Amino acid sequence: MTSQARLSFYLTLKYLQRGRKWTLFLILFLMSVAFVNLIFVSSLFTGIIDGANKQIIDTMTGNIYVTPSDGQDFINNKDSVLKKIADVDGVESLSARTQVPARLGYKNIRGNWQILAISPENEKQVSIVADKMIEGSFLDVDDEDQIVIGRQIAGGDNVEENAFSFKGAKVGEKVTVLFDGMPKEFTIKGIFNTKFVDSDKRAFITEKELDKLIPSIKDKTTTIVIRTKTKDETKVLDRIKALNLDVKVYSWQEATGLMKSVASSFLSVNVLITLVGILIAAVTVFIVIYVDIINKRKQIGILRAIGIKPYIIIASYVILSAVYSVIGVLIGSAVFYFVLVPYFGAHPFSLPICDATLVLSKTDYISRAEMIMWVSVISGLIPSAIITRTKMLDAILGR
Amino acid sequence: MESIIKVENLVKIYHSGGSDVKALDDVSIEVAAGEFLMITGRNGSGKSTLLHQMALLDLPNSGQVIIRGQKTCHLSEKKRIDLRLRQLGYIFQEYALIPELSALENVMLPAMMIGTSKAAMKRAIFLLDKVGLKNKENRLPSELSGGEQQHVAIARALVNEPKILFADEPTANLDTTASKRVLEIFKNLNKKDGITIVMVTHEEEELIYAGRKIRLSDGRLA
Repeated sequence: MTSQARLSFYLTLKYLQRGRKWTLFLILFLMSVAFVNLIFVSSLFTGIIDGANKQIIDTMTGNIYVTPSDGQDFINNKDSVLKKIADVDGVESLSARTQVPARLGYKNIRGNWQILAISPENEKQVSIVADKMIEGSFLDVDDEDQIVIGRQIAGGDNVEENAFSFKGAKVGEKVTVLFDGMPKEFTIKGIFNTKFVDSDKRAFITEKELDKLIPSIKDKTTTIVIRTKTKDETKVLDRIKALNLDVKVYSWQEATGLMKSVASSFLSVNVLITLVGILIAAVTVFIVIYVDIINKRKQIGILRAIGIKPYIIIASYVILSAVYSVIGVLIGSAVFYFVLVPYFGAHPFSLPICDATLVLSKTDYISRAEMIMWVSVISGLIPSAIITRTKMLDAILGR
Repeated sequence: MESIIKVENLVKIYHSGGSDVKALDDVSIEVAAGEFLMITGRNGSGKSTLLHQMALLDLPNSGQVIIRGQKTCHLSEKKRIDLRLRQLGYIFQEYALIPELSALENVMLPAMMIGTSKAAMKRAIFLLDKVGLKNKENRLPSELSGGEQQHVAIARALVNEPKILFADEPTANLDTTASKRVLEIFKNLNKKDGITIVMVTHEEEELIYAGRKIRLSDGRLA
């Protein structure tokens, strides 16, 4: 580095060391606020989308979802199919869910909620429903005449779909399951609340019970839910398809239905809000640095008068702006990762589809930090370049 | 004696309030090497404007400023900066120090443009000692009196060993004692070091320090 180039760094260092401390503090505060603002909203939306996706995987579809092939009502030879899929490299756990062709009744209320027959042990491996009991407990393998129902079926005050529910069914009370018009009484063993409305509109009974009620569908099922060892299920999906079983295999994204468009809408809103956030952050950073440098007009004029080359003066302010941005980003990151993320981790935003926390990908973080830095550098460059091009005496004498 | 500065038919017009004001009207002067020239005149007579042109801080509308035989008015800004840096020293009325730099750093700054920091520091310490600011090198301008700040400005103007020193009413903001001290420094620089000095003043009693004086009136030599 030449001694002249070093002079730019020297001047920057002195501005930082000996400049007005309150001005420096205010600039760094505004820079960090601009950065936090930029990443906070984006991370919240990403958190909602991630939370919703996780809910879908954890409570509904698993990573991979298997259904009967076209024209079929059931996946036949259930045990054999389950064994073949379980042996596929990358499959962590799996569970068959058989849709029970029945209606559910409580007192004089009847409804067509989804009733699924499951193996409780397998279900616990693929879903978090068993961990989300708000009353009673989840099913055991040998349970007979027992049913667990979702919060949206049980109903009660503050339940989103209370109007279409049992309006306050409790654990231990009886519900009626109507198979082909034939009633069978079950005792509510537990009520679960996954905080995902679609998931909470389901009821579960044991496979053992179903086999007893409808022996004809023994060794048949309607869906198989699969959890994979890694988040990227594509390869596992291909391997299962390669087994050429008489089934249809979907990734969770394909099986999400309405949530797919909800997530897509959130993504669009996120992009829009991020763009507005970027614009606001850019304008804030630009104004802060521009005003700071414009106030040094006289000083820049003096530097020119004593023979300091314009590029050295400009570089010193560009470096100063870059330093502002780096420190602003560091302070903003510290506030985000050490204050906001832990706080919202402990107190998530409670939404009907999930509990949302703040999620920021490495790419998003880097791109926003880069944006702040580039805007800062440009904000330092423009005013200092303008002043070094104005008449020297006008700058010095404030004309 | 050989002329070090030659000003030829200099005209400077300012545009003010929709009308043109002729600050310099066909001014021609010559300054000999080693001379101590004082320019005097009433406020608005054009003396500071003339100094700005001679010190290459501004460009005239017409005419020429020749420094050591080199015509300067058509030089690129880069060459004018270089000429200012290496051959001219300029002292402002209001000191014009960089507030974030100490006395030593202010003086070192122009020298760091053409040499190493070490050499710049050595020369700056020598000059601060010469202008009576030994032991005050590390003070910021805000920690110095007006007279001391002007001494720092003088040391800064001298750091690159200029051939010509320009001073625009350097004593205007100083008390009598501090003013006298500044003028004594100028006198010594002129007599002992042979530096050509061109100074603007409107204090009649300061004219006794001048080797020659010229008076401006309404942008013309009186």
